[in-house]
Amino acid sequence: MVSIRENWRVFLLVVVLLVSAFALFSPTMGGDDAATGNQADQATNLVYGLQLSGGTRIRAPLDGYVAAGVDVPTDADERSQLEATVAENLDGTLPRDVEARPTGTYGTSEQGTIEVTQPNVTRAGFTAALDAAGVEYDDGEVYQGVSDQTREETVEVLRNKVNQAGLSGGSVQSVSSATSREYFILIEVPGEDSSEVIDLIEDRGTVRIDVYPQLRDGERIDERRRAVLNQEDFRNIGTATEAERSRGYYVPVSIRDSVAPEFEGTMVETGVAQPGGSTCRGGADGWRNSSDPCLLLVVDDQVVNAFGMDSDLAADMQNRQWSQSPRFRLTTTNFSESQEVALNLRAGALPANVNLSTGAGTSSFISPGQGERFKSNSLLTGLFAVFAVSGVVFLRYGSARVALPMIVTALSEVAILLGFAAAIGYPLDLSVIAGFIAVVGTGVDDLIIIADEVMSQGEVRSRKVFQSRFRKAFWVIGAAAATTIIAMSPLAVLSLGDLQGFAIFTILGVVVGVLLTRPAYGDILRALLTDDR
Amino acid sequence: MVEFDVPEVDYTRYTNRQLAAIPLAVLAVALLVIAGWTAATGVPVDRGIDFTGGTELRVGVDAPSDQAAREGIRDAFSAEPESIQSIPAEGTYVVTFQQGVSGVQLEEEANAAGFDVLSRDSVSASFGGGSQLTALGGVAVAFLGMSVLVFLMFRTFVPSVAVVISAFSDIVVPVALMNLLGIELSLGTVAALLMLIGYSVDSDILLNNHILRRSGGFYESTHRAMRTGVTMTLTSISAMIVMTITASIVGIGLLSAIGTVLVFGLATDLMNTYMLNLSLLRWYKFEGVKR
Repeated sequence: MVSIRENWRVFLLVVVLLVSAFALFSPTMGGDDAATGNQADQATNLVYGLQLSGGTRIRAPLDGYVAAGVDVPTDADERSQLEATVAENLDGTLPRDVEARPTGTYGTSEQGTIEVTQPNVTRAGFTAALDAAGVEYDDGEVYQGVSDQTREETVEVLRNKVNQAGLSGGSVQSVSSATSREYFILIEVPGEDSSEVIDLIEDRGTVRIDVYPQLRDGERIDERRRAVLNQEDFRNIGTATEAERSRGYYVPVSIRDSVAPEFEGTMVETGVAQPGGSTCRGGADGWRNSSDPCLLLVVDDQVVNAFGMDSDLAADMQNRQWSQSPRFRLTTTNFSESQEVALNLRAGALPANVNLSTGAGTSSFISPGQGERFKSNSLLTGLFAVFAVSGVVFLRYGSARVALPMIVTALSEVAILLGFAAAIGYPLDLSVIAGFIAVVGTGVDDLIIIADEVMSQGEVRSRKVFQSRFRKAFWVIGAAAATTIIAMSPLAVLSLGDLQGFAIFTILGVVVGVLLTRPAYGDILRALLTDDR
Repeated sequence: MVEFDVPEVDYTRYTNRQLAAIPLAVLAVALLVIAGWTAATGVPVDRGIDFTGGTELRVGVDAPSDQAAREGIRDAFSAEPESIQSIPAEGTYVVTFQQGVSGVQLEEEANAAGFDVLSRDSVSASFGGGSQLTALGGVAVAFLGMSVLVFLMFRTFVPSVAVVISAFSDIVVPVALMNLLGIELSLGTVAALLMLIGYSVDSDILLNNHILRRSGGFYESTHRAMRTGVTMTLTSISAMIVMTITASIVGIGLLSAIGTVLVFGLATDLMNTYMLNLSLLRWYKFEGVKR
C-alpha cells in the first residue's frame, strides 16, 4: 500500500532525520573538537559556544605601526643599521622592537616593510623616525598594526601560552574586520574568568638573564649591568618545582651549547662563579646596593629575582666543565612566578603587544552558570514559540490531521539543522538558537501555503489535482525562500559579531525546508487527503 | 475545537485612494519621526553599545530590595551607568555603561563591591563604529537584492514596486517605533530588520501571485490569498510575541530584541499588504493594464 516510489520525499526526509540523529547522538561522531576549541556536551554531540558554555572571548588589535612598500636593503648589516637608526629616533624603543624586511621575505607579494612593535609609539612619532632615518615611504602605506608575519608569530605564541597554561579548549586566531584593513586577535577560552586570560596575554612575556658584576677593590670590574642570556638561548625548560633544601622555587633549564661557553666565561669573570660560590644578599630589591655579584632574572623588563650561585655549580664553571652539559636552575621567590617564567620560556615572547588597554577591540565574559541558564532559558523560549505556532495552527485548521504533521515537519527542520551543527562541530550560541526559531517561523508559513493551496477549491479527489495545486503552491514558497536567502546573505558573509550563526542557520533552514521537508509535507498531506490509491 | 477563519473584507466599499491613504500616512509619520530624531540627536535611531562602544555587565546583587540593589549598583562603579535593567526571574541586573571606562576595570569594581559578575560584554568605540557601517551596508545590500529579485519574479513594474514599497515601510515603521519606545539599535535588532526584509515580502508575493497568475476574479483571489497570508502572519506574530515575552522574563536580550522588532514589522506588514499593496494591485488590474 505504501510505495517508496510514490512517497520518496517522505522516505528521504526520514533517512535524513536518521542521519541527523546519528550525528547528534552517536558516540563515534563529534567528541571534543580541538580545532574549534569547544567541548562537546556529554549526552549529544552538540558543541556549545561561549555564550552557552561560559568563558572568555577577547578580540583585540596588536600594537604597532607598519610602513609598507619601503625599499629595505637586502644586506643584513645595512638592515640592522637601519633598524637601529629608526629605534634611536623613537623614545623608549630598542632595536629589537623594530623589524625591517626586504621585499619577498614573507610570501612573494609582500613588499619591503618596516614595523615597530613598541606599544607607546604614535603614528607621528613613527613617520618622524622614518624621516630621520632617511627612509622613503608613502604616507598612505603607513598603517596601524603589525605585518602579516609578526601577526602569525604572535598568534602562534599566544596559542602556546594558552596551551601551556592548561586552559583546555582555548583557541587563538587572527580575524580581520570586513570594512577596513584592521586585524584582530581573537582569543576564546571556555569556562575561564576574563582576568585569568588577561593576565596571561597582557604581558609580552620576555625572559632574560642579566648579570651584575661583583664589587672588587671598591669598583666594579664592569660597571654595567648587562644581558647575558636571552629567551632564545634557553632550551629544555623543566616544570616549576619547589626547592628541597632552601626556601624558594625554581625552573630547571638548559642553555644552548652554542652560547654555553661564553656564558660560563662571563660568570667566572664577573665573580658570580667564584670558588665557593656566591650569594646575592640584596635579593630582588636590594641587588643594586650590594657589593655581591648577582644574576638577575628579568621578566618583561622587571627584575623578579636576584641570586648568586652555589659552590658546586661555581666549581664546574671554574673548571670549564659546566658548558659540557649546560644546565642550571632559575630560582624565584614564589611558585606562581616560577610557573610564569616556565610558561614564558616555553611559549616564547610575544612579538607584539596585545592591545587590551585603550579598548580598541571587544571582550566578553560569561560565567559558566550564566551560560547554563542561557542554555535552558533559550530552550524554554524556543519551546514556547513552537507552542504558540502550534496553537494558532490548530485553531485555524481545527484538524489535527493537517496541523500535527505541520508542527512535526517544522520541528524536523530544526532536528536536521541540529544534526548538521553537531556533524560539523559548529558551536551553538544564542544567535543560532534565534535562527532555529526563525526557521520554524518561515517553515510553518510555507506549510500553511501548501495546506491552503491543496485544500482550496473543494475536495482533493485525485493525485493529478493534488500535483497541480502543489506545484502552484511551490512557486510562492520558492519565491519566498529566495527573498529570505537574499536578505540574510549579507549577514552570513559579513563578520558582524555573533550574527553570522543566525544568518547561516536561517539560510540553511530555508534550503533544507524547500528541498526536503516542505515537499515531504506535501506527500504526507496527499496521503491523508486523497482517496486515490 | 474553536476554529477561527479570516474574515472576508468587502474591498468594493473602499476606493484605492482610501485604502492607500492609511498605510502611506503611517509611513509618512514614521519617516517624520526618524527625520525628527536625526535632527535632534544626529542619528536616525539610538544606537546601543554594539555600535557606540561600551560595556554591559550582568551582575547578581544581594540586596533586600530592588531600590537598594539599584543604589548599590550606582555606588559601586566609578562611571555612571547608562541604564540598569532588572531581570526579576533571575534576580540579576543588566547594567550598561557608555564608552569611557574599560570593561575590565568595571568588572573589577563589580567584584570589589561584592557583586556576582555573571557576564560582561565590552565593545570599543572604534570597533562599534566599524560594525555600524557594516550593518548599514548589509541592510542596504539585502534590500537591494530583494528588490531586484522581486522585479525578476514579476517582470511588471506596478506589482513589483508595490512589494518593494511595502517592504520599505515594513522596515521604516519598526525603526520609528524603536525610537518612540526607546529600543536601541543592536546587532539583534539589525538581524531582525534583515529578517523582516525576507519575512514580510512573503505575504506580498502570495497576494501578487494569486491576483496576477491565477484564474478567478480579483476579489475571490484576494480573499484566498488573505486566508493564507493572514494565517501565516498571525502565526509568526504570535510566535514572536511569545518569544519576546519569554526572552524578556528570562533576560535573553538578543531574542527579545529580535522578537520585538519582528512583531512591529509583521504587524505593519499586515496593514501594508492588504491595504497599500492591494490598492496598487487593484489599480493595476482594473486601470493600469488598459493604459
